[in-house]
Amino acid sequence: MDRSDVTDPTQRAPLAARFPQTGRYATRLMLVAAALTGLMAGCTNVERSRDTANPAVSGDTLAMQVCSNCHGPTGNSVSPNFPNLAAQQEVYLAAQLHAFKGHSRVDPAGFEYMWGLSHDLTDKQIQELAAHFAGQKLERQGIEGKPDRIAAGKAIFTSGLPDQSVPACSSCHGPEGMGNAAFPRIAGQHVDYLVKQLNVFQRTNQRPAGVVMKTVAHQLTRQNIENVAAYLQALPNQ
Amino acid sequence: MFMAVAALWPIKSAALPLFARQTGQNCQACHAGGQFPELTQYGRLFKLTGYTIGQHTVPLSAMAVVSDSKVFNTNKSDDPHADFAKNNSLIFATSSIFLGGKVTNNIGAFLQVTYDNYAAQSDDGKWHGHSGADNMDIRYADRHIDAKNDLIWGISANNNPSLADIWNTAPAWMQYVPVPSPGSSAFIDGATPYPGLAAGGNISGINGYLFWNQMLYVEVGGYRTAKGLTSFMSAGVPEDEKTKLQGTNPYWRVTLSRTYGPHTWMVGTTGMVADVFDDPLDTSDPMSVHHFRDIGFDSQYQYLLDPHSFTAQLAYMRDTHRVPGFLANQPVDDVDGNPLPNTNASDTVKVLRAKATYVYGAKYGASLAHFSQTGTTDSALYDPTRVFGNVSGNPAIKGWTWEAFWTPVQNIRVGAQYTTYNTFNGATRNYDGMGRNPSDNNSLFFYVWGAY
Repeated sequence: MDRSDVTDPTQRAPLAARFPQTGRYATRLMLVAAALTGLMAGCTNVERSRDTANPAVSGDTLAMQVCSNCHGPTGNSVSPNFPNLAAQQEVYLAAQLHAFKGHSRVDPAGFEYMWGLSHDLTDKQIQELAAHFAGQKLERQGIEGKPDRIAAGKAIFTSGLPDQSVPACSSCHGPEGMGNAAFPRIAGQHVDYLVKQLNVFQRTNQRPAGVVMKTVAHQLTRQNIENVAAYLQALPNQ
Repeated sequence: MFMAVAALWPIKSAALPLFARQTGQNCQACHAGGQFPELTQYGRLFKLTGYTIGQHTVPLSAMAVVSDSKVFNTNKSDDPHADFAKNNSLIFATSSIFLGGKVTNNIGAFLQVTYDNYAAQSDDGKWHGHSGADNMDIRYADRHIDAKNDLIWGISANNNPSLADIWNTAPAWMQYVPVPSPGSSAFIDGATPYPGLAAGGNISGINGYLFWNQMLYVEVGGYRTAKGLTSFMSAGVPEDEKTKLQGTNPYWRVTLSRTYGPHTWMVGTTGMVADVFDDPLDTSDPMSVHHFRDIGFDSQYQYLLDPHSFTAQLAYMRDTHRVPGFLANQPVDDVDGNPLPNTNASDTVKVLRAKATYVYGAKYGASLAHFSQTGTTDSALYDPTRVFGNVSGNPAIKGWTWEAFWTPVQNIRVGAQYTTYNTFNGATRNYDGMGRNPSDNNSLFFYVWGAY
């Protein structure tokens, strides 16, 4: 080894080293991989499995081993990129998983993150997952919106915008925004998620099951959407 | 060359490499802004749980890079054709085959074999390609999680210290696309100093790790020469270029991280002590080893909220290198025959890298990086070769890299990088003693990267 070679601390993974004899080593590599597969195939651990295509894995296990990565172990997500699932309506959760699985929900958040994971879930697993998260407690989270937006959003939530024919959110989602069966809980949801979904309803047909929201949200301005989202997120956290 | 890449282009726009096929998710679920190899929090958890989320799929992926490098000044050279081979010409640079993904509920793998189309050049000037083991990681992982506690633990067998790491500031991962071999690429960003570990890759290690409450990451392991059962970890590397280690060489890693809202912060430290034989073909003398001690500190900030992705990274590595006795205190003459100070018994090199990146909609991105390598002056580095030489005996290299890239579909990326130098091989001007200045090495690098 030349001294100048080893003096160089910038040596990196040899992405482009020189390599004869590849065939022989490739065969050995495949043998090792095959042996490992054979050895461990018997040791299937469904209690702590992350296999999204094994009907034997319970919804509770999938919730902890897979869903928790984004939505949190109790359905309280840290990042607003992912919705809180805790205390969400069980019927709504199951319907969304079916919509992801059947590709009828085609908003970006749906197909980028959820289509694949829901692809092989059984009806039983979907029911168990929905029950798991519906049964969790929504934890207090920091208030994400500004006070003036929260105040302005309250009026939309409770009274709607009669001049623009926008009904009060509370008329379907309940006076506390807790939802009811197919109407989701919206109280305590992340502002960013609510804004994005209201935009999806208003501007696209990517969530056909929520088509009623297209009419409801039709007249909302960008300001209105941000205000009502700020109010809803703050509602259980004040 | 475009034909070669065209063959790898996806049949449908949503076609995905093997991990994406396994989870059915988009690349950006695991990679920040779809920018490889940097991971999101979900990507980190996917890796730590042994690549086992999802379902079994075809365990193969392929990647290819077409590139064009252009060095700013090719005149100050005795043989520009040799010094800057393939300058300003589009080449099929490298390609990789990946084998891996979920094997069982607890075992997964990431095995990369890379082909370098310009690995060697024969006397007649003809280029020859070679392929061999690149990054290899086979791991067993388990996760014990309830509402209050989350403990992921695992064991990784891999061939490159820090390959098992989850942070983009780790030595194995803070990098751009593979660097093509021709001389024209000798000054592009991928060839600039990065905070690395002196032992390098293609060695064999077993590491144990744990990630507790998504806050504390600890990894401890040891590396030996890849041989016998683990010889596939250095497959294809010629015997005289292998890293031959003396005994078991410790590696450690600790990071603290926290996610709140769309923000993730991390601070960490890395270290490795390695004894590397001077001559890979002769390991009979236990005194003929280079002793390296690398201590690194790094920090990373990520803001991920669709469609925005912003990352700031800082990594620092201090490398102390004690040479074998027979190489220390040796006389060196300069090009005129005048004696220089004798060579050092040990050297210190410090490398700092800072980088900020913004990506919009996982499609349009830009980054700016600063690199700074400083260290002790040592006559052993004295080299009066034109273009690649060093007459100061000092290892300092400093500069900046600007990059803009576009990801039209998630498995194709087109990028342009411009790297500028204000210090090269220890000097701010005339570093080779024949009039070449650092800025003469400024390089433009254009690439098309594809994976399937």
